[in-house]
Amino acid sequence: MQDLKTRRRGAATSQAPRPSLLRRTGRALTPLAWLGPSLVLICVVVLWPVIEMVRTSLQHITSSGVTVGYNGTTNYTDLFDEDDLIPVVLRTLLWVGGIVVITMTLSLALGQLLNARFPGRRVVRWAVIVPWAASVLMTALIWKWMLDNYSGLVNRVLLDLHIIDKPVNWLAHPGQAMLWMMWVAVFVSLPFTSFVILAGLQTIPEDVYEAARVDGASAFRTYFGITLPLLRPAILIASIINVINVFNSFPIIWAMTAGGPGSDTDTTTTFMYKLAFYDQHVGESGAMAVVNFALILVMVLFYLRAARWREEVR
Amino acid sequence: MTRRVVLTGLGWLVAFVFLLPYLQMFITALKPEKELTKSPGTYLPSHWTWSNFIDVWSAAPVWTYLRVSLTVAAAATIVTLACAMPAAYYTARNRFRGRGAFLLLVLVTQMFAPTALVIGIYREMVALNLTDTLLALILVNAAFNLPFCIWILHGYFSSIPKELEEAAFLDGAGRVGALTRVTLPISMPGVVTAIVYTFIAAWNEYIVALTVTASPDRRPLTVGVPSFVTQYQAHWQFLFATSLIAIVPVVILFIFIERYLIGGLTAGSVK
Amino acid sequence: MKRHLLGVVAAGLTVALGVSGCGKGSSSDSGSDGKTIKFVAAIYDDNTKPYWDALIKDFEAKNSGYKVNLEMVDWSQMDAKVKTYVQTKQVPDVLNYNAFSDFARDGLIYKASEVLSPTTLSDFTPTFVEQAKYNGEQYGLPFISSARLLFYNKDLFEKAGIKSPPATWDEVKADAKKIKKGSTIGYGLPLGPEEAQAEFYSWAMNNGGGWVDASGKWAINQQANIDTLTFLKDLNKSGLTQPNPESTDRKTVFNQFAQGKVGMAIGGPFTKAGFIDPVNKSLNFGVAPLPSKSGSEHNTLGVMDVLAAFKKDDSKNKDAVKKFLDFFYQKENTSKFLTTEGFLPVTKSAGDALSADPYMKQFVDALPTSKFAPTTNPAWSAVAGAVKQDLGSSVANKDPKSVLDKIQETAEKAG
Repeated sequence: MQDLKTRRRGAATSQAPRPSLLRRTGRALTPLAWLGPSLVLICVVVLWPVIEMVRTSLQHITSSGVTVGYNGTTNYTDLFDEDDLIPVVLRTLLWVGGIVVITMTLSLALGQLLNARFPGRRVVRWAVIVPWAASVLMTALIWKWMLDNYSGLVNRVLLDLHIIDKPVNWLAHPGQAMLWMMWVAVFVSLPFTSFVILAGLQTIPEDVYEAARVDGASAFRTYFGITLPLLRPAILIASIINVINVFNSFPIIWAMTAGGPGSDTDTTTTFMYKLAFYDQHVGESGAMAVVNFALILVMVLFYLRAARWREEVR
Repeated sequence: MTRRVVLTGLGWLVAFVFLLPYLQMFITALKPEKELTKSPGTYLPSHWTWSNFIDVWSAAPVWTYLRVSLTVAAAATIVTLACAMPAAYYTARNRFRGRGAFLLLVLVTQMFAPTALVIGIYREMVALNLTDTLLALILVNAAFNLPFCIWILHGYFSSIPKELEEAAFLDGAGRVGALTRVTLPISMPGVVTAIVYTFIAAWNEYIVALTVTASPDRRPLTVGVPSFVTQYQAHWQFLFATSLIAIVPVVILFIFIERYLIGGLTAGSVK
Repeated sequence: MKRHLLGVVAAGLTVALGVSGCGKGSSSDSGSDGKTIKFVAAIYDDNTKPYWDALIKDFEAKNSGYKVNLEMVDWSQMDAKVKTYVQTKQVPDVLNYNAFSDFARDGLIYKASEVLSPTTLSDFTPTFVEQAKYNGEQYGLPFISSARLLFYNKDLFEKAGIKSPPATWDEVKADAKKIKKGSTIGYGLPLGPEEAQAEFYSWAMNNGGGWVDASGKWAINQQANIDTLTFLKDLNKSGLTQPNPESTDRKTVFNQFAQGKVGMAIGGPFTKAGFIDPVNKSLNFGVAPLPSKSGSEHNTLGVMDVLAAFKKDDSKNKDAVKKFLDFFYQKENTSKFLTTEGFLPVTKSAGDALSADPYMKQFVDALPTSKFAPTTNPAWSAVAGAVKQDLGSSVANKDPKSVLDKIQETAEKAG
C-alpha cells in the first residue's frame, strides 16, 4: 500500500507533461488504490498461510521440529491410516450441523422475543449480549467448572433435586461431554445470531403485517408466509458465519475435554492440533489442516449454492 | 395482557439463563481456595473473599495480559477499519472490472479462520521473523476480520442513496465534505458494528496467540487466564476473578453501543 | 480526496505498527553479545519462579556483564512451546524439559562435556548419566529426579481393619474393597492425559512389563502390559477406583486423597508439599513401596527432568551457558531447588542434604530400584503423547490389547 502511494506520487511529478496517459493510468489504478490495503492484507496474512500449510503437509518434519525435506504424500497416507480419522470427521459434521441448526432455531425465537415489547426488554437484550462480549474461552471454562464432578454447581443442583443420586462426571463420558460442549457452543453463538435476526426483523416494515392482518392471516401463516421469507438474507448471513465459526471452534473443546478421552470428543480442529503437539507429527498435522480446509470449502460452497448467493450480492 | 406477562416472564428467564454462568463465575471468584475443592460444591462462599480480586494482581501479571489484549484488539481494529472502509465504499459506489472478483475473494476469505490455518500462520510468522511479536497477532486478527467488516460496510454504504451525497456536494460541501459530513455519520451504525465485531474477535482470539507468542509479557488474557489451573494447582478463584476483570469492561462497552449494533447488523443482513 | 483517504489509512497503519513496535520488547536481541542468554524454565509450582528470580539475580551480581532472561512455561504448554521454539529457530540457550534425545539426534544441543566443568560432570549420579545419553554420549544435563511410591491413608486403613499397606495386587484389590464405603474410594487411579504413562508404568514394571524388550525394541503390547491394564480395568469396573480414570489427573486424585476420601494412590516426593499440605496438613498418611503382582520385588518409577543447552550463533553462547550451568549446579543452589520443590537429587553432593528428612528419605532410598521410561529413545516423546491420549480408554470402554496394539504401531512408526 505504501508502495502504491509513492508510485502514484512519482507518476504525478515525472509524467506531468502527458496528462492523458496520467489520467489513463490513474483511472486503471483507482480501484487498486481503494482496494489495495485490503488486498495486501488478505494476500499476505490469509493466503500465504494457506500455501504454507500445503507445503508443510508435503514436508518431513522431525519430532523436535527440524524440517528435513519433502516427502511426497507420506503425511497424507499416515493421516488416512489413523483409525480415529473417520469418526473425527463424522463427529465434526455432526458438531457443525447440530450446533448451527439449534442455534438458528433458538435465535429465530430469541429474535422475536427481543423484538417484542415488554417491560425490561433492554435489560434482557443486555443479558443476551453478555456471552458475546465475554471470551469464548472463559465461558467454556466456567461451564467446565460448573460441570465439575466433585464441586460443580450442576451436580450439586441435580443432587439436591434428587434427580441423580451420585455425582456424574459429565465431561468424562464422550456422549454427554459432546452434548454439553454443543450446548456451550450454541450458548456462545446465540447472541450474535439472535442480534442479526433481530436486526433483520426490524427491517420488516410494519405495514406488511398490517396488510396481513387485514387479510385475516393467522399468526402462523404470517410468520411462515411473511416474516421468514423476509428474514432470508439475515438467516443466510448468520448461518454462513456460524458454520465457519463453529467448524473452527477450538477453545470450547480444548478447554473442556481437550478432545479426550482418547480422541472421542475431537473435532478435526483439535485433532489437527493434537497431531502436531501431542503426537509430534507436524507434517501429518499439515495434511489434516488441508483436509479440514477442503471440508470447509465444500460445505460452504454447497451452502452458497443452495442459498444462491449471487442474487444476494447486487 | 396475558401475552405481555408471558413475554416478560420468558424474557427474564432468558436473561437469567444467559447470566447464570457469569453469576457463577462471580461467586466462584469470591470463594476461598479451600472451599473450591469441597464436594459437593457450595452454592455461596462460606466466607466472601473479596481479597481474591486484590491478590490476583500479584498472583499473575494480569496487568500485562490486559495491556497485551487491549493493544492487539485496538490496533487490529484500526488496521481492519483503515483497510475495510475504502474498499467497502469504493465497491458500493462504483462498478469496475474486478469488482465481482474482489467481492468473491472477500466472501471466500470469510471462510478462512485462523484456527484451520494455525500451522500455516505460524510457519509464515517464522519466515517473516514475527513469532512472539504483537505485530503478528495484530496482523492476523486484522486480516481475518477484514472480510466481515468489508461485508457489513459494503452493505451499509450501498444502502445510502448516492443522491444524498450528491446533494451535499452540489451544496458546495466538496467531495470530502460530502463524505465526512453526510455519508460517514449515516453509516455510523455500520462502522460501530465493524469495530465491535473486530475488537471482540481479536479480544477473544486464542489459538494463534497460544501458538505464536512465547514470552510472558506478550501473552494476552486468553492465554494467560487458563494458566491459573495447571497440572499441579487449581486457582479457579483467580482464574474467574481475572475473567471478570476482562469481561466487565467489554460488557459495559457493549451496553453503550447496543442500539447502534442492531442498526449496523441490519445493513449487513439486508444490504 | 483520494490522497486524503490514503493519508488516513497510512496514519492508521503507522499507529498500529508503532504500537506493536513498542510491544516487541528487548528479548529479541538476546544472545547477540554472547553474554545474554535465554533460559526457559518449567513451572513446577508457585515457588519455581521466585527461586529462579533469586538465583539469576545472584548469578548476575556475581558475574557482571552476564544476563539471563528467564521465561517460565507451564508444563501443559511446554510441548507446544518447545516445538515452536525449534521450528521458529528461536530456541532458548538453556531449556528445562523432560526430554532431550530428539534434540541430540537433530544436532540441536551441546554435549554435556561442552557446557559443564569436569567437576560438575563427575558429580552426577551414574544412574542418571545413563538416562541422559544419546548414542553413548551424554547430552542431557540431569536436573531433578523423582520416584513414585504408594501413598495410603492410615486412618482409612485402620477403620477398615487393615494392618499393613498392600504388597501384592491381590491385596490392593482386597484392601480397596474393604475401604470402599459411600463416597470413599479404594484406589485413586489417574489415567487421564496428564500423566497416564507414569501411572501405567508404575504398575506394569511390577508385573515384569515395560515399554521395550531386552534388546531395546518397542514391546508395548506385550502380554505383561495387557495383564496390567486388565487388572486396572477390573479395579475400575468393580467400582474400586474413582469414576472415569481415563479423564482424571493426579491433582484431582490427590485432592480427594487429602480430603480423606481416597484409600491409596501412587505419588511422588512433591505430593506432600504440592497436593496434600495445601488442602489438609494433618492428614494421617503413610508411604509404602509400589505393590507388585507377585509381591516379591518392588520397583519404583524413576523420573528425571533435564536441562538442555542449545547451540546458537556459532557457539557464541557457550561461555555464558557454561557459567550459568556451573553456577546452578553448585551444591547449595541445587539442593535449595530440590527442597523448595520437593524433588530428589541427581548429584551426589546434594544427595545427603535431603536424606535428613524422614519423608524424603523413603524416596531417596527407593531410587536404586527405579526404572525409567525410555527417554533416551528419540521416538519416546511421540510414544508418550500417544500413551497420554489413548491409554486411559482401555480401562473404560476399549479393549486393553487393541489400545496397546495401536500405541505399539505408533511407536514403530516413530522409529
